Amino acid sequence: MSQLISAIFLAGLYASISLGLTLVFGVMRLVNLAHGDIVIGAGYLALFFGGNLGLDPLVALVIIIPVVMLIAYPLQRGLLNPLLAHGAEPPLVATFGVSLILETVYLLKYTSNASSLNPSYGFNGFHLLGTDVRTVLAIALGGGVALVLATHFALSRLRFGKALRAASEDPEAAMALGIDVKHVYALTFAIGAALSAFGGVMIGVAFSLTPTAGLTWLLLAFTVIVLGGMGSVLGTLAGGLLVALAQEYGALAFGPQYQNLIVFSMLVIVLVLRPQGLFGRKLA
Amino acid sequence: MSTEEATPTHKVHSIASRPPEKAVMRAGLWLCLAVALLVVFDGPSWLSLNDVVLAVTMFNLMAMAQAWNLIGGFGGQFSLGHGLFVAVGGYTTTLVLIHTGVSLAVSVLIAGCVAALVGALMAIPLLRLRGVYFSVGTLGVLIAAQAWVINWKFAGQTTGVVLPASGTLGFNTQYYMAASLLVITTVVVASLVKSRYGLRLMAVRDDEGAAAELGVNGFRVKLAALTISAFLVGLCGAMNAFQQLTLEPYSAISISWAIGMILACVIGGLATIPGPLIGAGLLFLLQQELQADSDLTQLLEGVILLIVIRFAPGGIWGLVRALPQQLLAQGQRLRAKET
Repeated sequence: MSQLISAIFLAGLYASISLGLTLVFGVMRLVNLAHGDIVIGAGYLALFFGGNLGLDPLVALVIIIPVVMLIAYPLQRGLLNPLLAHGAEPPLVATFGVSLILETVYLLKYTSNASSLNPSYGFNGFHLLGTDVRTVLAIALGGGVALVLATHFALSRLRFGKALRAASEDPEAAMALGIDVKHVYALTFAIGAALSAFGGVMIGVAFSLTPTAGLTWLLLAFTVIVLGGMGSVLGTLAGGLLVALAQEYGALAFGPQYQNLIVFSMLVIVLVLRPQGLFGRKLA
Repeated sequence: MSTEEATPTHKVHSIASRPPEKAVMRAGLWLCLAVALLVVFDGPSWLSLNDVVLAVTMFNLMAMAQAWNLIGGFGGQFSLGHGLFVAVGGYTTTLVLIHTGVSLAVSVLIAGCVAALVGALMAIPLLRLRGVYFSVGTLGVLIAAQAWVINWKFAGQTTGVVLPASGTLGFNTQYYMAASLLVITTVVVASLVKSRYGLRLMAVRDDEGAAAELGVNGFRVKLAALTISAFLVGLCGAMNAFQQLTLEPYSAISISWAIGMILACVIGGLATIPGPLIGAGLLFLLQQELQADSDLTQLLEGVILLIVIRFAPGGIWGLVRALPQQLLAQGQRLRAKET
């Protein structure tokens, strides 16, 4: 029972860090290997603004989100967009390069030691049906679910969401209809980064930040979106819950040291047996 | 990625030279190569001890990049999990030397074979995945394997394994081994690529559907490439163990191996034979130059990778190869102006 409650609260965090990855993949078929570093980067930005301006991590998001979008937009427009025409590998390798660069920037600024954000809700908690729940994870659950639902709504209802889906399904036809596909792609990448910012800050509060942790979070996010269906927005909630359940019950059954083995074996097995994901169809 | 390099019989000078000149030039090239090889193998007599040690690392990086190039460049399957084969090679040779009395050479061969087996086992499910799914799958296998070894008593868990005394080699021996391994890897990859098999591999990379219509079994062709690549990287992994003496899971089973291989291939020239050698050599020199600042090295590597992939997708070798033709065209333009 306590595993179930812990898993539900973790699921929100996992969904929120996977949302940007699934959006970028769904729209551009782009596997962003720098995704984990973008997530971690938002955490580091919260650390930066917390240190310099004394802002609470959640308040700092108001500044962090525009900052990551301003970095992400030209990255897609200037670097990744031209490469998308050359097949899947060049953009993949390019995001790899971006990941190396971001990792080094964090390393130069914050050393290889773990740092963390320490607002009061990082330590406080409450009891729910006999289980201790940390406030930060409750915030992450609320925020994660809200972000997933908002993204789903934006994609299915808003004008930009429709343009985005059109650009995803048939870029040339969308272009013929007057949709600026390059702009849509770049904006998607920027929105993906913005969505990741919340998760990154939550990681900084709930766990810790290390410059090389991006890879681990990238793989975790991959597992989430592979389980939920790559490109599926609502699937991140299901995928996040499944990963969290596997971690919690796996730790109970085999010991916590096998958590990673269980999660990443699950990634490989589902990828092989059901590459479209357990519930996957397509975007939105 | 770079389709113009797909035909291995393509010759740079085909426009310029008549057949006899071509034959002379080929002979000259082979002669240069032979002399270069002799000089390289004579290394320990003219290099300082420090340089001999460094050369071992460089040769090993080059050989690994070349082996990755077979499946990643010529096969178009971007494996992010090749670090697994480095680890399997290293751990196998160390464990075999600890637990059995076989000779060092046999242990290296066993290491290669076990890596090939792991590669084949990994390939069977993963090669059915398209493009990026394959890359993600290999990364997943790598990290799962790392999590496994961390908990595996026989492999020393987090402490790892130490090479026994029977595995310690002199620096010169290491040098000859690494140089031979580099030559073997390059010859194997080059001759595979120039063979009918290589043509099939590249055909599958460029258009698997069309290749299938011509009766090429894409899965089998890629399976062979990944298995051979894993075998060669396994040998390099054993070589790495002889140099490192101790292996622990966090650095031995890491994505950084595949990063190095991919950087070398892309920067030097993907799906070309000289590419990985140039790329790995360049990266190694960069690492040595900036030794005091390893963070800066990684930053520069990332920047160079981005510049190359954006502005010179054929890599350095692609630029070099295009040079004679460009000069020729320039010359023709100049002559046309004069007349």
